[in-house]
Formats: sequence, C-alpha cells, structure tokens
Amino acid sequence: MERYWQIEKTNLKHNVPLHVLVCALVLGISPFLVGTANLEAQDTAKVLEMYTAFIGIIMLTPIFLPEQPREIRELTGSKYMKSSTVYLIRLVGNSLILAVFLALYIAVLRHNHCEFPIIRYFLGTYVEMLFMGGLGVFCYGLCDNLIIGYMIPIFYYIIAMGSGSKFLKLFYPFSMAAGSYTEKYVLVIGGVLLTAWGIALRCRRK
Amino acid sequence: MFGQLFIKECRQTAKSLIFWLIVLGLVLDFSTQLGGMEIMSAPVEGQEEYGYHASTDEDVIIESALGALAEEYCRKNYTTYPIGFYKSVTLSKEEDRRIGEIIREASGLDGREEVEQTVDDWYAEQEQGETPMTSGGCRLEPAEGLTYERFIELMEEADDILGGGSKYGDGYRESNAQVPMTYEEALEEYQLLIENDRLSGGYARLFSDYMVIFLGILPVFLAATRGLRDRRAGMQELIYTRKASSLIIVSSRYLAMLAMLVIPVLALSVIPLMQCVRFGNSAGVSVDMLAFVKYTFGWLVPTIMIVLAVGMFLTELTDTAAAVLVQGAWWFISVFSGVNTLGGGMYGWNLVPRHNTELNWRGYHDGFSQLAANRIFYAVLALALVIFTAFIYSQKRKGRFVIRGKILADRKNKLKA
Repeated sequence: MERYWQIEKTNLKHNVPLHVLVCALVLGISPFLVGTANLEAQDTAKVLEMYTAFIGIIMLTPIFLPEQPREIRELTGSKYMKSSTVYLIRLVGNSLILAVFLALYIAVLRHNHCEFPIIRYFLGTYVEMLFMGGLGVFCYGLCDNLIIGYMIPIFYYIIAMGSGSKFLKLFYPFSMAAGSYTEKYVLVIGGVLLTAWGIALRCRRK
Repeated sequence: MFGQLFIKECRQTAKSLIFWLIVLGLVLDFSTQLGGMEIMSAPVEGQEEYGYHASTDEDVIIESALGALAEEYCRKNYTTYPIGFYKSVTLSKEEDRRIGEIIREASGLDGREEVEQTVDDWYAEQEQGETPMTSGGCRLEPAEGLTYERFIELMEEADDILGGGSKYGDGYRESNAQVPMTYEEALEEYQLLIENDRLSGGYARLFSDYMVIFLGILPVFLAATRGLRDRRAGMQELIYTRKASSLIIVSSRYLAMLAMLVIPVLALSVIPLMQCVRFGNSAGVSVDMLAFVKYTFGWLVPTIMIVLAVGMFLTELTDTAAAVLVQGAWWFISVFSGVNTLGGGMYGWNLVPRHNTELNWRGYHDGFSQLAANRIFYAVLALALVIFTAFIYSQKRKGRFVIRGKILADRKNKLKA
C-alpha cells in the first residue's frame, strides 16, 4: 500500500498540477460564461453536462504522458511493478480529483439556489466525465499520441453539440438535460471498457 | 529550397494519421449537417406562413424590447446568454429599483403592480384575438415623447446591469423584434438569393457556416502533432544543424499544413456546388461556379490560418500539447458566443463567424465590412504568429528557449552558462 501511495504522490507532485490548474481555471471562470445561480433542474443539467463534464477529458486522458518518451517507457518497463498498476493508480487518483471538483461545483450550484437532484446529477455528470476521459485514454493507448487522445473526445463532444442525439443515440452525453438517464448506464459501461482497453493497449506497446 | 521543403512537408502531412482523422471529421461534419440539404424553391402565394424575420421598424423594436423587459421585471428574473449558454440573473434591490425606473421612463408604467397588470392585460387581449399575433412574447407601448436614441441608452443601461448578453443589448434588441414575413417579403428574400448570390453564394455561406465550426479547432491538432514530431522522433537536433533558415522551415511547414487542410474543404464543396448547378439548370438560374472557392478562401482560410498559427506558436514555445487546451478554450467561447448570431449579419470579431441560412443576403451585405475586417485581422495575426514561431525556432537552434513545459527552464540554462 505504501508503494501505491508513493506512486500517487509522485503523480500529484509532477504530473497532475498543470491539469488541476486548467480544470480549476475552467470551473473558476464558469460564472462569467454560464449561469450558476437560480437554475431550474433542466438548465442545471445543461451546465453540468455541456460545460463541467469537459474537465474529464483534461484530467483523465494524459495518464500515460510521463512515459511518453521511449527511453522512460523502457526504464519503467524493466521495474518490478507492472505498468498497468501504475496507470491504474494514476487513473484512480485523477478520477478522485475529478469527483472532488464536481462535488465542489455542485455544492456551489446548490448554494446559489439551483434546484436539482444532487446525487442523480452528480453521478450522471461523473459518468459522462469518465466516458469522455475513457475515450481519450483509449485513443491515446491505441495511437500512442496524446494529441489524438484529446482530439477524439473533443470531436465526440462537438458531434453531440451539433447533432444532438440523432447520431449518437444511446451514447448521447447530454441526455439528463433532455430528461433521460438511460444513456448514463451505457456511458458508464462504455467508459470502463474504453479505459481498460486503452490501458491494455498501452501495456502491450513496447 | 522552400519549394522542396514545402513538398516534403505536404508528404509528411499526407502520411499523418491525425490529418486523415481531421479529414474524416470534416466529412462527418459535412454529411451530418449538410448531407440532406435541399435547394430551396421559390415561395408560393397562399402558404400558411413564410417564417419570421427581424423587423427594422423602430416602433416594433421598442415595443418588443419593452415588453420583454416588463415580463422579466415582473418575474424578478432575467435571462441572458453571455456566451450563448443560458444564464439566469437575479438582481440586487438597488439594480431592481433601477430597472423599474428604466421601465417607468420608457413606458410610463409606474411600479411592479402596474407593469404586471399591463402584461396580463396584453396576454388576455392576445387570447381574445384583439391584438395581432406576434412572435417572442409581450409588446409594450412606449411612453409619449420617448425618442429612439433615449430608448437605446436606456436599454444599453439595462443590458449593463444584467451583465451583457441580454435581449436589450446591441444586436439582440433588433433580432428579438420578430415579425411574420409576408409573401412579398419572402419572395424578395428569395430573389436576392437567386439574383445577388446567384444561388451558389447563399449555399457557400451556409457551407462555410458549418465547416468553420470544425475548422475553428481541428487544425490545432495537426499543428501540435507536427510541432512535437521532430523531438519525439529524436530528429530535432539534426534538423537544427541544416542550412535552411528558421523562417523557411517554419513557413514551409505552415503553408503545407494550410494547403493540405484547404484541399479536403474544397473537395467537399464540390457536392453542394453540383446540387446548385443541377437546380440552376432546371430553374434557369446562372449559378456562380466560383462561389464556394471564394467563400472557402475568404471565410474559412483565415480561421484555419489562425488556428494553425496558434498551434505552431504555443507548441514551439512550450514543447507541450498546451496549444490544444488554449485553442480548445478559445473555440469553446467563440462557438457559444456565436449562438445568438446564427441568422448572419452580426459577425463581430468572432473566430467562428456564423451565418446559418442560405438567405439573408442583406444581412451579409450590411455586415460585410465587419466580416472583412475580422477575416483580415485573423489572417494578419496568424502571419505575425508564424514569424514569432520562426523566431523561437531560431533561438532554439542557438540553444536558447529550451522550455519543455517548464517556465523557468530557460532561466536555469542561463544560470548554468
């Protein structure tokens, strides 16, 4: 357990700060860009799904970044601890940071008199974050390219914004705003599978 | 030298996975948004309705803005769209009092009760058919002697109090004053499409409107990948030692990426052009064959230029993928702030100028100078960023500016020296 905590501590010290800063900035400027006070449930869902969930891409996608240079990857590959364990620890750590960000944001919305079911919206938004981040992890693992890891989930996001649920059907990420929660179950399964697949692909790459 | 490098870079881009993903993205964008596009036919007399359009009549603008303000004042809650996202604004007592004063001066109604009564009466008359049907809610008569200039001042003040993006700000006031189109007006609008735009002009604008959304973000991925590729492949130092100047290396990369991105856009534009030509042949309309080329270079290329330049500049400066995050944020704000300008004519300084209709030639014509200034500004800014990128590149060749994601790294290098 001590070793796992050491890995996470290193992650928190060297890899996470920039991404945490960007996420904090994105959420911090939100009162200037979107409504965060006196919102009805549907409008709160819009803000959470279309704005807040975006930080899932920022936090989760770069979990392989420290091993991007081949020489570092070879070095870490020679260590006793499996790469997959290191990636999982980072993933869990970053997911917890996302959960904290989301909880704080939801607390602010609630404090600003927004009316919405807290647990339901927390889980719905978190699932969307995990799916978009998982898509990024999968694409990064598949192509060994962080840029593609960012590009595909952003592309998915644009398609969702532009076409609604017409093409994405059960993978439509903004369903809560439209009053449906079914898509969230598909997204959580999809998110877990994509993340696991992405890590597996990355571990197989020498 | 430049020509050889340019061709080499084009080949590199063509082999890049990210380039083909971008092409796929553009194709998907086109097929989902414009795939089922049909060329519009002339309106027929006797249709149930011909849609609505924003009135330019000052009386209508005043009445609709005052009506909307009165309704929101009664609800004690105001809706704004600062960047296109819904924002609900609740005012402090002092601000609420000032809005009440603005309504009193503009409409002569004193106090919330009187305003509420007037709004209720207006809706009751609508239900009984005593007032003509309107679109967009209540209309309120202005106070006697209220000039249009004073009305504008009052509405601007209300918009400031609400934090901008309200129905009372510049542009939104006018677009909010929606009135039903008559057959004659609809026919005139159609004639403008056929005669002034020669059909294809209007559809080229619509094509540009959809494509510019994706082109406001996708090129940054190509630029960032290209910027990081040399270091990733361990070729950076080798290229640094080559004879070619930094400006030639950077500009050849930039122009190659630009050219490679313009090609698929032009290729996609052939599809709607052919639709226009077919329709033009059957309807006897002389279609402008070069319209899509003109709009691609005039409307879309400046956006591609600036997005590529931002990508190259930030990647060269930081040696990280930070450009993706920065451009992502800029794109996000640009797209959402353009939501209220979809009808066209209000281009402002938006990176992603919108005109989501084949019609409204007049709006395009009136806003043309602003659009041209916008496009020239971004093209010039892009060239300036390319020159800065070349400067940073030249400094790196001399061993300076080696940042690699750490802001103080260069200072450490100097200290070591």
